[in-house]
Amino acid sequence: MRSLQRRVVVGGVVWAVIATLIGGFAVTSVFDQIADRRFNTSLSEQHTQVIVALGDTQSPDLVEAVLSEPGYQRVYSGLYWQLDGDDGELYTSPSLFDAELISGRAAGQGAEFWEGLGPNGAVRGVQERVVLEDGSVWTVSVAASLNALAGERSEMQRSVALVFGFVGLLGIAGAALLTTVLVRPLRKLRNDVRHRWDTGNALVTDDYPAEVAPLVADINELISRNRDILDRGRRQAADLAHALKTPSAAMRNELVSMSRKVNGTTPLFEALDRIDSQIARSLARMRAATAENAVHVSTDVEQSVERIARLFRSLPESEGVELEVSSQEACVGVDAQDLEEMLGNLLENAFKWCRNSVGLAVETGDGLVDIVIEDDGPGIADDLRQTVLQEGTRLDTSVPGTGLGLSIVNDLANAYGGSLDLGRSDRLGGLRCSVTLPVVGCEKRTATAARA
Amino acid sequence: MRILVAEDDTTLSQQIKTALTDEGRAVDTATDGEEALFLGSTEPYDLVILDIGLPERDGISILKEWRKTDVHTPVLILTARDGWSERVDGLDAGADDYMTKPFHMPELSARIRAMLRRQSGQANPVFQRGPVVFDSRNNKVLNNGMPVSLTAQELTVLSYLFHNAGRMITRTELSDHIYEYDGDRDSNTIAVFVNRLRKKLGKDLISSARGQGYQIDLD
Repeated sequence: MRSLQRRVVVGGVVWAVIATLIGGFAVTSVFDQIADRRFNTSLSEQHTQVIVALGDTQSPDLVEAVLSEPGYQRVYSGLYWQLDGDDGELYTSPSLFDAELISGRAAGQGAEFWEGLGPNGAVRGVQERVVLEDGSVWTVSVAASLNALAGERSEMQRSVALVFGFVGLLGIAGAALLTTVLVRPLRKLRNDVRHRWDTGNALVTDDYPAEVAPLVADINELISRNRDILDRGRRQAADLAHALKTPSAAMRNELVSMSRKVNGTTPLFEALDRIDSQIARSLARMRAATAENAVHVSTDVEQSVERIARLFRSLPESEGVELEVSSQEACVGVDAQDLEEMLGNLLENAFKWCRNSVGLAVETGDGLVDIVIEDDGPGIADDLRQTVLQEGTRLDTSVPGTGLGLSIVNDLANAYGGSLDLGRSDRLGGLRCSVTLPVVGCEKRTATAARA
Repeated sequence: MRILVAEDDTTLSQQIKTALTDEGRAVDTATDGEEALFLGSTEPYDLVILDIGLPERDGISILKEWRKTDVHTPVLILTARDGWSERVDGLDAGADDYMTKPFHMPELSARIRAMLRRQSGQANPVFQRGPVVFDSRNNKVLNNGMPVSLTAQELTVLSYLFHNAGRMITRTELSDHIYEYDGDRDSNTIAVFVNRLRKKLGKDLISSARGQGYQIDLD
């Protein structure tokens, strides 16, 4: 169970059940004892009244008339008295009707409690031997049905269960409420971290409870380091590009001047081409390696598509080519520069090979964004499609290029957990390139914001 | 036509300057961002070749500053940064074209010619006035179908007048656009170049109004 809130709620429920059971048992036991004591006290008082009645009248047959308790009059009412003479004489309350109390034990000195059977089940009674003035000896018994005691106990248990159940529910609700309050700083942290990725502003540790503040400081450090790695990677690539490509351009120009005066410069041009190609390849690898370090990025596909389409429509080489764009709102978990690098390379390839029509469409579904770029050019034969994804592969060396375009797109798509698929366009007849990338929420940086 | 080359690599900068000077352009160079910003803001260039990765101040911020202060000189960004995002950013900042290094000098020249033509509203790279034909792609000049040899300064004057055909060009403007920053700007020499052009290409090619300047009208 990974949710803290769920853990606390389930834990709270289990604990509430255990606490309710233990508490309920303890309270019920106490209440049972109290009820039992009260039952016995009442029984003793009834017993005393019968003894007093016998003592006052000195005649067992008059006892019934003296006792006014209605329970003694109603048949099987649950309250009974009985007088047993040592000589075998027997007097009972009308409530006993044709039954007798059977204590099952001989009466000793003083009042004794016993439990036995009454007319309607179990009874508890108290009995005592009494000697009248005429010398006759009587065992005076008073008994009450235990059904009443059991009923009282059940009612009390129900009440206790109700109260404890309510208290338990209050406890669970309290635990849930407490968890919400405790988890709130973590929720805030999550939102703040997302915002931190967007804006680059550090999280304020003072905004968090003392227990969470050290974690916030660590997150600040981690995010900052990740940004540094990405920025450093890009900066190094840019510096390296400047440091290598500028002298390469100078060498090429010098070589062009030299070739006008001397022969045999072709091998030098070829060597320089290889150097330029290697530089381009290494920089592409650096870009893909940097992309693998990108964390928590999100780019508005529609915005990047609009930017790159605008660029291509303004290029001189796009003259006479119709670029049809069909985009839709979606965000992908790809850095804006890398997404535009993929779009740019695929469009450049399409513009290079098309006759007069290029299509760019964005489709979404199943948590993925599919960017499809197709053209009406010659396309690529089925058996060569995998070959062109290898860096430096050029199927037609008469057309200018480095042979890196599709390979760069493939590497970048893979670095972000996506893929590049090549096929034949049903609509335009040429090459169909489909880049599939994971969808993310759009609350993050957009292409423009990323560059700001 | 006067061009500013803002490039911190002096070898490459000189190569570009040499190539463009050979084509009859007046070329100034700047090796850092501050110098480029100053020259581009104060001198009337016809075109700027701007590297993004300049020391002191990067090319994109210079370009934005120019556009903000109404300097609308055409700018060609020449950079080692070949990312597509950077191209869009460059064009969005106000650049007119974008080239990445390494590059071929003939392609750079062709792009510059195309930009200059666009700036002057001339779609055709070949200009014609009567029997005189000027091909801006190779700086060849024909008079009655015969090639005419012109000096670099004569070519510069002719090129500027053709690119601004139909408009009276003052001597000061002509001087601003054919001399380099530290060049000797004697306005009398302008008259000398014009006279030479008239001798070689016919006196009707360039019309003039006293005290106002010179003008070529296309056919």
